[in-house]
Amino acid sequence: MNTEAPYRLKATGITKSYGAVNALADVNFELKPGEVMALLGENGAGKSTIVKVISGLIIPDTGQITIDGEPVLLSSVRASQTAGIAVVQQEFSTVGTMSVAENLVLGQSNAPAWWSPQKLNDQAKLILARVGLEDIDPRRSVDTLSVAEMQLLEIARVLAKDAKIVIFDEPTAALSDAEIVRVLEAVKRLASEGRSVIYVTHRLGEVFEIADRVTIFRNGRSEPPLLVKDLTVDKVVALMIGRELGHLYPERTEKYGAPVLETRGLKVPGIKGDINLTVRRGEILGLTGQLGSGVSEIMKAISGIADVLAGEVLLDGSAVNLHGRRRGIVMGIAYCSPDRKKDGIFGGISVRRNLSSPWLRRVSRVGFVSRAQENSEAARSASNFAIDLSRLNTLVGNLSGGNQQKVAVGKWLGIRPRVLLVEEPTRGVDIGARAEIYAQLRLLCDSGVGVIVTSSDTNEILGLSDTIATYYRGSQTANKPVQEWTEAALVREVMHRED
Amino acid sequence: MTTTEKISIRFQDLSSVRRRTDAVRNWALPILIVLVFVVASATVPEFFKFETIRSILLLTSITGIVAVGMTAVTLSGNLFSLGVTSSAVFSGVIYVWVGQATGSMYAAAAVAIVAAVVIGLVQGFIVGLGLNTVIVTLAFGSIIYGLIAILTKGEVVQAQGVNLEGFATFQIFGIPLPIYIFVVFTALAWFLTEHTLIGRNVHLLGSNKNTARNSGISPMGTTIWAFTAFSLSIGIAAVLQTSQMHQIQADNLPGLTMDVVAAVLVGGTAVTGGDGSPVKSAIGALFIATITQVMVLMSIPEGQRYFVLGVIVVALVVVLHLLRKAGTR
Repeated sequence: MNTEAPYRLKATGITKSYGAVNALADVNFELKPGEVMALLGENGAGKSTIVKVISGLIIPDTGQITIDGEPVLLSSVRASQTAGIAVVQQEFSTVGTMSVAENLVLGQSNAPAWWSPQKLNDQAKLILARVGLEDIDPRRSVDTLSVAEMQLLEIARVLAKDAKIVIFDEPTAALSDAEIVRVLEAVKRLASEGRSVIYVTHRLGEVFEIADRVTIFRNGRSEPPLLVKDLTVDKVVALMIGRELGHLYPERTEKYGAPVLETRGLKVPGIKGDINLTVRRGEILGLTGQLGSGVSEIMKAISGIADVLAGEVLLDGSAVNLHGRRRGIVMGIAYCSPDRKKDGIFGGISVRRNLSSPWLRRVSRVGFVSRAQENSEAARSASNFAIDLSRLNTLVGNLSGGNQQKVAVGKWLGIRPRVLLVEEPTRGVDIGARAEIYAQLRLLCDSGVGVIVTSSDTNEILGLSDTIATYYRGSQTANKPVQEWTEAALVREVMHRED
Repeated sequence: MTTTEKISIRFQDLSSVRRRTDAVRNWALPILIVLVFVVASATVPEFFKFETIRSILLLTSITGIVAVGMTAVTLSGNLFSLGVTSSAVFSGVIYVWVGQATGSMYAAAAVAIVAAVVIGLVQGFIVGLGLNTVIVTLAFGSIIYGLIAILTKGEVVQAQGVNLEGFATFQIFGIPLPIYIFVVFTALAWFLTEHTLIGRNVHLLGSNKNTARNSGISPMGTTIWAFTAFSLSIGIAAVLQTSQMHQIQADNLPGLTMDVVAAVLVGGTAVTGGDGSPVKSAIGALFIATITQVMVLMSIPEGQRYFVLGVIVVALVVVLHLLRKAGTR
C-alpha cells in the first residue's frame, strides 16, 4: 500500500541493558514493505530482545522506532498491535476448548459483538485456505489439531488481524520437515501480499529458502542487513559466531573420579528400555534430543517429581529411595526446570526468598526461620552466581531472563546438592549470564557435585558436557565422550535421520 | 534528533513509574484512613470522641480477626472461603450449648474454637486435593447452615443462668477485650507469615504452585495449614461475637463473609495469592469499619451506606489492581 515509504519499520540506536550486561547495544534494524527479513544469531545475541522490543514486551533504554516514517512508542503489546505488528508465538495463544473458527476471531479488535455460526465458519474457511488448512473443519475444537496445524492456525490468526508487520519467533522449532514446508509456504504468501515479515530462526536452510535479507546479531549488536542472494552458509556462520565463542564455555579438567550418580535399570513412563546412566565426579553429562525425546522425563524421574516404575538410583554408590520431590531434596538432588516462569521461580517474590525457598527448612528451628542464617546463605548463593547483592529485595519477576535463570539455578546451592539436574540451562538468557551460569556449573562439577544438563541447543551441549547421550522418541541412540562427537554427528543423532 | 530524545525520555519515565507504585500500594490505605479521620473529626459532630473510636475498633475486631485469618487462605493462592458466616454461627451455637452444659465460658470457648478448626481442616483437605475453594466453601457453608437450622430448629440459642458475656465485657483501660485480641492476633499472624516455615511456604505456594512443588513444598500440607489458621480465626471471632450478642441464631451475621472478603481485598492482598499481608487485611477491616461508622454518625440510612461502601471498595480494589500490574511489568 504505502510503497513510497522506503521502510516499513526502522529502529535506530536501540539499547537495553540489564545491570552490566548489554542485551542490546546501539542496535539498528530496518524492514521494507513486502520483504522477509531473517534474524540470525546465537542464543542471547539479542535477536529475541529486539523482537520483544518491537512487539512491546520490553521497553528499551534508548532509541527510536518509526513505522512508515512515523515515530511510534511501542510501550505495550497493545501499542505494538495498534501499530500493525503481530507476533506468531512459539507458545500457542489459541484456546483449546474453542473451535478453530472461534479462535480466529478471538482477540480481534474488529470482531463482531455476536455472529451467526454459519457466517463465522464460512469466513474462517477462507482464512484457513490461505495458510494451507483448507482440509480443516472450522467447527473442530483446537484441542484435536496437531502441533503443526496449531502453528498454522496461529499464522491464520495473524492473517485475520490484517497486520502490516508479522514476526515469527522460531515457528518451526517443534515441527517435522513436511510440516515445515507448509509453514514456509504460509510465510511466503504473507510477504507476497505486501506484508513485511521478521523471521527468527536457528535453521539456516530456511533462511536461504524464504528470506530476502538477513540481519545478524552478535553479542547484543546488529550487523547491517545483507542480501541473502549474496551469502553462503559458511559466511553466515562466520558472521554469527564471530571469534568469542571459545570463551563462553569453561575449560574441562578432564579428571574423573568415582561415580556420584548412577541409575540402574531405571524404568520411566515414556522411555523405552532401561535407563543406565553414570555421572562421575568432575563430569558434566549432557542429554539431548528433540521435543518428545524423553530427556525431560528422565530428569523428572531422577529428581523425584515423576514416579519411577522400576530400577534404582544410586548416590555415591548407595541406593536411594526416591519418592516425591521433598525426598529428592533431602537426598541432595537439585532440579531446575526447562521453563523457569512456569515452575522454576516465584515471580512475585523477592530474590532473597526465592534463593532460600528450597532450603528454608534447613535454616529453621522448630518451624521458626532464622533470618540471619537465611540472609547470609542467600547472600552467599547470590554472590556465587554473580547476582547483584543490592537486588536481593527485588521481585524476581522484574529481573531480566538471565538474572532470573541465575536465581532458578542458584537457589539450589543452599541444599548442598550432591546432584544438580538442569534442563535447558540458558533458554532465553543473555550472553553474559550464560557464561556465568556455565562457569558456575563447571565449578560445582569440579567440587564433586554430579551435574546432568539437558539442552536442545547443540552448541551448548557440545561446549559444556564431558559426555553426551542422545535420545530419540524415548530411546537412547548414543552415549559417548564429547571428544568422539562432532557437531554434524550430534545433529544427525538428534534428528535420527538415516541419510 | 528531537524526536529521538523525546522518545528516550518517555521510555525512561515508564520504567521509573514502576518503582514508585509499590510505595503507593503500601501506604495508600493508612493515609486514606488518616484522611477520613481528619475530615470526619472536622466535619462530623460526635466523631472525635473516645467512645466513637472505641466503637470503630470494636466493630473492626470481629471482621478484622477473620480477615486476618482469611489472608492465609488468600495468600496461599486459594482465593477466598465463602462459608465464613455459617461456620461462625455454628461455633457460636456450640459456645452457648457447651457453656450452658458446663457452666464455664472458657471450656465453651475452647470447644467452639476446636469445632471451627475441625470444620476448617476438612475443607482445607478437600481444597488441597485440588478442588476450587469457592465451590468447596460455598457447599460447606450451605451444609453447615442447614445443620444449624436442623439442630436449633431455627430458634434463637441463648444461655440461661450462665455468664457467657465475659469475653466481650472485660475491659482494660476502658478498652474491651476483643480489641486487644484483634491486635494480638494480627501481630501473631504477621509473625507467623514472616518468620515461620509454614507462613513462608503459604506465601511461596500462592506465588507459584508448580515452583513450590518442585522446591519440595507440599501444596496439600500448606493449604491445610492455611485453612487451620483461617478457621482458628473464625472460632475466636465467633466466641467474641456470641459473647457480645448474648445469643445466636441461624440467620445471624449475614454480611460477615462479604465484609471479610472486602477487608482482604481493600487491604491489598492479591486475589491470585503470593502477595499481601495479614496486617494489610487488618487495616482493610479498619478502613471499612471507619467509613461505616462515619456514615452511621451522619445518619445515612442503611441501604445508602451499603451502596457507598460498595462503590468505595470497588474503586479501591480497581486502583490497587492497576498499581500492582504497573509494578510488575
